[in-house]
Amino acid sequence: MGSHEALSVEPFKRLVKLAARAFYDDITTKGDKQPKTGRSDNRGIAVVVLDALTRRQWVREEDLAKDLKLHSKQLRRTLRFFEEEKLVTRDHRKETAKGAKIYSAAIAATGDGQPGGREGDEKLKMHTHSYCCLDYAQIYDVVRYRLHRMKKMLKDELESKNTVQEYICPNCSKRYTALDALRLISPHDEYFHCESCDGILVAEADKLAAQELGDGDDSARKRRQEKLKDMLQNMEEQLKPLIDQLGRVKDLTVPEFGSLQAWELQNAAGRAANGDHGNDPSKSSQGLGFGGTPMPYVGETKVEVALSGIDGKGENIKSENGNAPSKVLPPWMIRQGMELSDEQRGETKQEAKMAGSSIALESSDDKNTTDEKDDVKNIQDEYVKAYYAALLERQREQEAHDDSQQQMSNASTSNGVAMPTERQVGMKSKLADEYEGDDVEWDEEPPAGNTAKNFKVHDLNVEAEASDEEEDDIDWEEG
Amino acid sequence: MFFHIVLERNMQLHPRHFGRDLRDKLVTKLMKDVEGTCSGRHGFIVAITGIENVGKGLIRDGTGFVTFPVKYQCVVFRPFKGEILEAVVTMVNKMGFFAEAGPVQIFVSNHLIPDDMEFQTGDMPNYTTSDGSVKIQKESEVRLKIIGTRVDATEIFCIGTIKDDFLGVISDPGATS
Ligand SMILES: [Zn+2]
Repeated sequence: MGSHEALSVEPFKRLVKLAARAFYDDITTKGDKQPKTGRSDNRGIAVVVLDALTRRQWVREEDLAKDLKLHSKQLRRTLRFFEEEKLVTRDHRKETAKGAKIYSAAIAATGDGQPGGREGDEKLKMHTHSYCCLDYAQIYDVVRYRLHRMKKMLKDELESKNTVQEYICPNCSKRYTALDALRLISPHDEYFHCESCDGILVAEADKLAAQELGDGDDSARKRRQEKLKDMLQNMEEQLKPLIDQLGRVKDLTVPEFGSLQAWELQNAAGRAANGDHGNDPSKSSQGLGFGGTPMPYVGETKVEVALSGIDGKGENIKSENGNAPSKVLPPWMIRQGMELSDEQRGETKQEAKMAGSSIALESSDDKNTTDEKDDVKNIQDEYVKAYYAALLERQREQEAHDDSQQQMSNASTSNGVAMPTERQVGMKSKLADEYEGDDVEWDEEPPAGNTAKNFKVHDLNVEAEASDEEEDDIDWEEG
Repeated sequence: MFFHIVLERNMQLHPRHFGRDLRDKLVTKLMKDVEGTCSGRHGFIVAITGIENVGKGLIRDGTGFVTFPVKYQCVVFRPFKGEILEAVVTMVNKMGFFAEAGPVQIFVSNHLIPDDMEFQTGDMPNYTTSDGSVKIQKESEVRLKIIGTRVDATEIFCIGTIKDDFLGVISDPGATS
């Protein structure tokens, strides 16, 4: 969300692009029926699709197909493949034109991708739409795991003395390793028996060795060793950029878009909050904020705030009441928001909507609490700014009415301390109230951060205590 | 590998043992309960070497049993990957052979037996070199290297290899008899 996240997104995008070229360059996703002609050779499509996905967040698959000028079936096959590869999360849902609208609003908020062909959406009635999105956190793990497996396989093969023999049941193709040996022996003969079907297990021939003919022959073995060594070396050379990129990405916050629904909610709400941050803060707090904003609802609130300053204490109370719903969703937040429907602008709906968006924030929260905290802070800062701007404006109006107040107004503009009139006291208490409201709203955040921290610390302890076991786990993994 | 460590255990003692020799009873029971057991975490508890301290007993409601927290020193045996062990062969079959090093069971699969040793079936199944000079059969003593361990909560199982320098048979009862 903030600019620092943008910083961490780029390396991850690069990681995806590198991985795409390293592993998915020659993937074909042909249907079995299709003839193997040059025309249907779609190698490289996988890379194109992955690249396109790095430029988007959640995207409707039809739109993506249109953008890439691909047949949607072909794209779907590719995406299904990537879903199996755990690079992509997909979501399917039946939706009406309204649902599509939420998505469109969200996509407009992120400002990436051009959702094409939206015109027809109004006519669609409950169609199943598929959406997809890169799962960067998982991609990071998948790529690392893949590299690990590749290396381990070659290394194991290279020093074939240290491989754990695997056994396979010819009947039910259940697999065992030598570590299961104790359970597999039978008192009647000298073979291992399958636990489920009692079939006689066969040792699985060395995976790579099987490709070559040499068995036992010394020169063949030597040749194989050399070949393996070459492969290992080539692998390390050719995958170096990818491995380097993994290292670069290691300590960065993983870009997290959440589930489709969470993402939509967050972008619908987040646009308002984040749009502001992008802007010049002085602009949002001064001219733009209280001048003529196009939103009718927001205009009203502003007027009320200004009035409350001029009209003394009784009005204050009223404005407090009037603002009650905006405790949930502060007015400045809506100002830049998207088209809220009439019901949403109404107080009741607004509550519900806010609840929704706070859920969205919460859900992404576990992943990057720090970001969220920053946001909370930003929002609060923003609020303070807006508030002081209101103060300022009101004071200017007061000046016009009453010249004798000029001194105080100066004092307040210079350091922003509330002025010692009873009205000010009223305003101040209102500020406190509002803040309380805010705090309640964001209350979840700090505890969440704390618990996360506590958990971590606790976890470390556990690890330290269980270091013995840990070590052994690694043994087992590599053995 | 063997380790000297201190462990703790809550011992439940029947009220009939409460008396002058309560402590002795406690220690005897501890030895009976603990020695020879295996925990995935610490390995096999080979022997108790001393009692560090016996905590305050807690009477259990209803039963009259008393629970004492006992801290004791012991020797544990925990096999590790890469460790070299000497073991006695317990069973030979076509798939390889099983051996025991104290309480630990180790399986050596046939592809981790030197290529020049062939399986011979019969009354005494064995692996023998083509010239017959080296034979692995039941009761043979072998030196092997552990290449993998499976550690469960109450069990440790290892796989080993004898396909390396200085590994293999260290005494051959078949050759002397
Ligand atoms: Zn089977």
